[in-house]
Parts: sequence; structure tokens; C-alpha cells
Amino acid sequence: MPETDDKSEDTATFECNICLDTAKNAVISMCGHLFCWPCLYQWLETRPQGQVCPVCKAGISRDKVIPLYGRGGSKTDPREKLPPRPQGHRTEPEADYAGPGGGHRYVFGDNPHFLSFGIGAFPFGFFASSFNLAGGAGNPMEHQHRDAAGPADHQMQDQLVSKLFLWLACIFLLWLLMA
Amino acid sequence: METNSSSGSLLNKRLQKELMSMQREPSPGVSINSHTLHGNSLSQWIIDMEGAEGTLYEGEKFQLLFKFSSKYPFDSPEVTFVGPNIPVNPHVYSNGHICLSILTEDWSPALSVQAVCLSIVSMLSSCKEKKRPPDNTLYVKTCSKNPKKTKWWYHDDSV
Repeated sequence: MPETDDKSEDTATFECNICLDTAKNAVISMCGHLFCWPCLYQWLETRPQGQVCPVCKAGISRDKVIPLYGRGGSKTDPREKLPPRPQGHRTEPEADYAGPGGGHRYVFGDNPHFLSFGIGAFPFGFFASSFNLAGGAGNPMEHQHRDAAGPADHQMQDQLVSKLFLWLACIFLLWLLMA
Repeated sequence: METNSSSGSLLNKRLQKELMSMQREPSPGVSINSHTLHGNSLSQWIIDMEGAEGTLYEGEKFQLLFKFSSKYPFDSPEVTFVGPNIPVNPHVYSNGHICLSILTEDWSPALSVQAVCLSIVSMLSSCKEKKRPPDNTLYVKTCSKNPKKTKWWYHDDSV
């Protein structure tokens, strides 16, 4: 009697958490839960978004499970069957950080960012440049003719210029909207 | 073709295994109504449930209907209260529909009939006041027959 109990407990340890049968083509998740690869594959297919471990809801994915190879397992290659079980991962002792794949991905990831930034920055650039132009034109004039003028006059001039540019900005925005 | 037949056998095999383990190690207050299992394909089970001792439902008896689709265990079972006694509970509608997240979006194939039953027993046991959900009348009038078609809004995490 105790022997059969032991036996059932032993096999239960290696049961797939989905089909409740002894795991075939077994894979194990990073969180330590055992599944048949076909069972887990089907679950991952059911939920393409937000893939979680069926047992503990930890994040899980095709690349984050490890195949288990026991001694004297099935003679047929599991990968011949559909769906294939993912390969085991062997980490190289020194990972090449700036690999060609990594660099490529980096450029690709940044490109759209640059693009959107350029478009977004265009009106600001326009404002900034026109402002500078005005400032350049205004400043010599001040120096030449209004040097003696009091600070009040100076402020008025500034206010006028800022009002002018506020209007310009409004008109420009309107034009942007119309176009 | 191949996946279809294999998922079909997975369904039956798994239901057989669940049935055996529930009969071998039954949880207190939860048992399979064996009359419902005769002569059909295991696709519908009726579970007899008793209210847990020391709770508002002590001494009451309920029946749960489980319907399994061909995609079980990847798809959750359809679970409703049936029979003459539907528990009066803020998460159970008077038509037997149950608002419980593991029955829809939080379902996992590692859950089982037994796990669902235990969740429902504990949902009932944590109840402090017997009352129907606030939107019961409207929901029962307008809902689909299948509770899985309801877009549930889970708001009470205390259960």
C-alpha cells in the first residue's frame, strides 16, 4: 500500500499542469512550473497578449521556457511534431554587447522617434528663428536711437514685440490648422 | 485536423482525471451529482454544494451547473447556479449567473472544477450580508443566457 502511494506521488510531481497527465515533451517555466510543450503552446496561442504562467501568473513566453531532457526519453525527435518545442538556450561566456543585431535594432527603434520629433519641433524652430531675427533687428535700433530712453520705454518696446509675436503665433497656428 | 482530434482527447482525458480526483479526494461540501454523468459525454456536470459551517449559508444546499466547451481547459467552463435554491449574495444574480473573475478573464488552464468550486464556496463564506447585486433586476432582464457573454466589471477584490 505505501509503495503505491509513493508511486502516485512520484508521478504527480511530473504531471503537466494543464492536461494533468505525465508531462510529454516537457518544458519548465522560469517560475518552475512543468508543462507538456503542446499544452503550454496551445495556452500561449489562446492568449497572444498578456501571456502568464497558468499556475502562478508570472510572465511567461515561448523564449522563457526550458525544455527538459530526461534519460531514455522518447526516441522520436519532439521537434518533428507540430508545434516544435523551443530550443534550449546556451549563454555564451562573454556576451557581445554591441553585436550587429543589437546595433541594427537600436537604429530601428530610434528612427521613428527622430521623425516625430522633427515634425513636432518644426513650428518651434520657425518661431525661434523669427524671434531671433526680430531681436537682431530690434537691438541695434535700440542702441542707436533709444539708448537715452528710460527703462519704461524699453519695457514698452518689449511688450510691443511680444504682443506682435503672440499675434504672429496665433496667425501661424490658424494657418497650420487651415492647411 | 490533428490538433482537433488531439484537443478532443485532451478534453475527455482531463475531465476523466478531474472526475477521478474529485471522487477520490472530495473537498468538504462539494460533491458531483453522479446522476448527471450517466450516459453522456462529460460535457455537463452538476455539482452539489453545501453552505460552509459558521457562515450565512450554513445548512443551505445549492447546485452548480458546469458546461465545458470543446476548448476546455484552455477556455473556462460556463458555471451557473441552478435548481430551486440560488444563493442570495452580492455576486450572484437571481438567474444563477456568478460574477467571479476566474470564470472569464482570470481563467487559467491550471484551475479545475474543484478549484472553481472552492472559490465559489469561499466567495459565499466571505459574505456579510445576504443581498442581491444592486443591478440584479436590470441584468436579469437584459443578459444573455450564457454568463460568459457578459462583460463583467470586477470591482470587489476583497473576496
